[in-house]
Amino acid sequence: MRELSVIEAVREALAEEMARDPRVLLLGEDVATLGGVFRASEGLLERFGADRVIDMPMAELGIAGVAVGLAMRGMRPVAEIQFADFIHAAMDHLVGEAAKMRWRTAGDWTVPMVLRTAYGGGFRGGPYHSQSVEAFYAHAPGLKVVAPSTPADAKGLLVAAIRDPDPVLVLEHKRTYRAIRGPVPDGDVVVPIGVAAIARPGADITVLAYGMMLHESLAAANALAPEGIDVEVIDLRTLLPLDRATILRSLVKTRRLCVVHEDTLTMGLGAELCALAAEAGVLDVPPVRVTMPDLPGIPVDDVLEDAILPNRATIREALIRLAAATPAHAAHRRSYDAAIPQASSVIELALPEEHTRAALDAIVAACRAVPACNASFAWTGIVNHAEIVVDCDFGPQAPARGGGTITLVDYGPQGAELAVPFVRPGQTAAVRIGAVRNGRAYVACSVDHRAVDGADAGRFLAAFEAALGANRFAESVHAG
Amino acid sequence: MKRPERERAYRALSLARALDERMWRLARAGRAHFAVPCSGHEAIGAGYALAMRPGVDWLSPHYRDLAALLVLGMQPRDIMLHFFSRPSDPNAAGRQPYAHFGSRRLHVLSLQGPQPNHCSHGVGCAWGSKLLGDGSASVIAFGDGGAQKGEVHESMNIAAIHRLPVVFVIHRNGWTQSVNREREYATETLVARAAGYGMPGIAVDGGDVEAMYAAARAALKRARSGGGPTLIDAQCVRFLPNTSNDDDTRYRDRSRLESEFATRDPLVRARRLVSAKFAAAVDAENALAAQDAADWAEAQPLGDPRTVAQHAYA
Repeated sequence: MRELSVIEAVREALAEEMARDPRVLLLGEDVATLGGVFRASEGLLERFGADRVIDMPMAELGIAGVAVGLAMRGMRPVAEIQFADFIHAAMDHLVGEAAKMRWRTAGDWTVPMVLRTAYGGGFRGGPYHSQSVEAFYAHAPGLKVVAPSTPADAKGLLVAAIRDPDPVLVLEHKRTYRAIRGPVPDGDVVVPIGVAAIARPGADITVLAYGMMLHESLAAANALAPEGIDVEVIDLRTLLPLDRATILRSLVKTRRLCVVHEDTLTMGLGAELCALAAEAGVLDVPPVRVTMPDLPGIPVDDVLEDAILPNRATIREALIRLAAATPAHAAHRRSYDAAIPQASSVIELALPEEHTRAALDAIVAACRAVPACNASFAWTGIVNHAEIVVDCDFGPQAPARGGGTITLVDYGPQGAELAVPFVRPGQTAAVRIGAVRNGRAYVACSVDHRAVDGADAGRFLAAFEAALGANRFAESVHAG
Repeated sequence: MKRPERERAYRALSLARALDERMWRLARAGRAHFAVPCSGHEAIGAGYALAMRPGVDWLSPHYRDLAALLVLGMQPRDIMLHFFSRPSDPNAAGRQPYAHFGSRRLHVLSLQGPQPNHCSHGVGCAWGSKLLGDGSASVIAFGDGGAQKGEVHESMNIAAIHRLPVVFVIHRNGWTQSVNREREYATETLVARAAGYGMPGIAVDGGDVEAMYAAARAALKRARSGGGPTLIDAQCVRFLPNTSNDDDTRYRDRSRLESEFATRDPLVRARRLVSAKFAAAVDAENALAAQDAADWAEAQPLGDPRTVAQHAYA
């Protein structure tokens, strides 16, 4: 099969559709003589003439509005907005007019137009040549929004868009134009709108992505295969309407979801995809979104742009976290709950560098002395535990496992000197020993204030210190 | 205008007025949601609609274009179905409020809420006429308030560049709801703008249906012959509030308006075009037609909730 770049595939789709249907015409800024700033329409002016390949004035609103009128009149306009960042001037016509026309006239008038635009970052374009705009337009019922990632889909979806009886916004990621090459079948290529593709089958995690992020997600997924994490990557291809069936079929299998997009987080497409999964009740662990942070723009500075756009490394990290996440029915035992009202107390005491064994024994002794701290809070009452099981959190490499009746947090010399621990849901107290400096350390105790008086935290620490002293005494006696 | 045309013009103005008055009263009585009076604007729409070829030329209408719609073939009952937002309304199937006209059959492009987005739609439609070579022309009508939007600038510029078969008509009543001319534009009229786009401009008394018809005929002839677009600046008076939701006593002196009625009302002025007997007979006939249309349309069923999602997509 032939290999084409995405931009070559776009050009081929335009040329073939213009040859097939005399109603198809192109209009936009720089599309005729220049052939488009990305060369999507290169050679088409010569082939189809100035009546059908039209350089428009710098008027995005007018380009979109005139395309609406041409489509109402029965033509098949394919308008180009040079950069997606400029598209909002056309929004009134896309969202306010094209998307509503069929519905508001009960089918009397229709708008079979296509609007193509180049979106996406990663090429040092700065805040006005890099944005992803899909969330604005995927919020417009009546419109269709497609976002191809491969040359075959770039051609097939554009052909489908041109033949579609409704308005279609085609979002082409500008970095894919030349960076992505791939096989494109000969002959008529039509990729149905509204159908996602499984770009990489897998069993453990579902990644939903599109555009350049599809390729970054595939790279991350392939890198994780040797580590035993089997990631399914779905190329959404159409953003409105979403292919809910393909998405849910995959999630029923993997029960873990990661959404990747370049667009910002809040109200981005990921929000809708996570809601879709949550409403269907198909997730075992909370979903993860890997997106650009909520910033007004993408900076042109190389380092800054690379720092904020998702890439295969940040996607890989998210997937590792997602693979390690404990299913929701067990997750409450190891997660923190910021909503638990806490009371804390801190003491400073003498402590050797090597103190773990002694500290564990001292916690057990302190729990015996102040049993209120070895309890669980429940809305039905407080459960005092007969057994004392100390769960240890020894840092990011050895976090607490979620068992136990009380947690000891001790990051050793790598940790902070003083930090207040969080009480884990299902427990009532947590003790944190800070890094030892010059033979002394801070020890903090937090308690669930719904169950334990703040003073008990102080009593607990006093008992802890006393037990530690007694232990040391016992050790020294033993040593002697 | 010859006698048959003068009588047609009078008939349209009179029917528009009869329907308009009935809708105004019904809306004020709470029997319908919304009325948009056209009183004072009738001669403009009737003028260009009479110069158009129904079913051939295309209209992107103004929302006070009731008279034009009637000339182009919209029936009083269809207007009232639209007014009462019934599903059988051919304009908007009960989905858009009154005065959002549209009919593919009558070559009237669907009018939207944000004014005047239909300008560029009309330009696209005219471009289609040029590409298809079918000799049809387009009239695009909007208000002097709408004329202040970038939409109109971009539309007129594109139409002029490509010499599209378009006639732009500004219904210039000097008001944009409550804001008067001085706060909308710094010139007395808007006709000089035509020169800025390289198209001819015609200033016309929009209360005079004969003058309006003559201006539209000349502009349409030019459009059809490949001469490109024309701008018609048609001055008129908006005799009533902006809509049934507006109280114009808050921003203008109504007594002065009412004193102008005898000299500036297009219907009163058109009476000189026909015999008094003809005018009286037509007025009586239209009052009955308006009442019949309203009674009939109000009795038509409201929409079926099961249909509300229809036509979102093909």
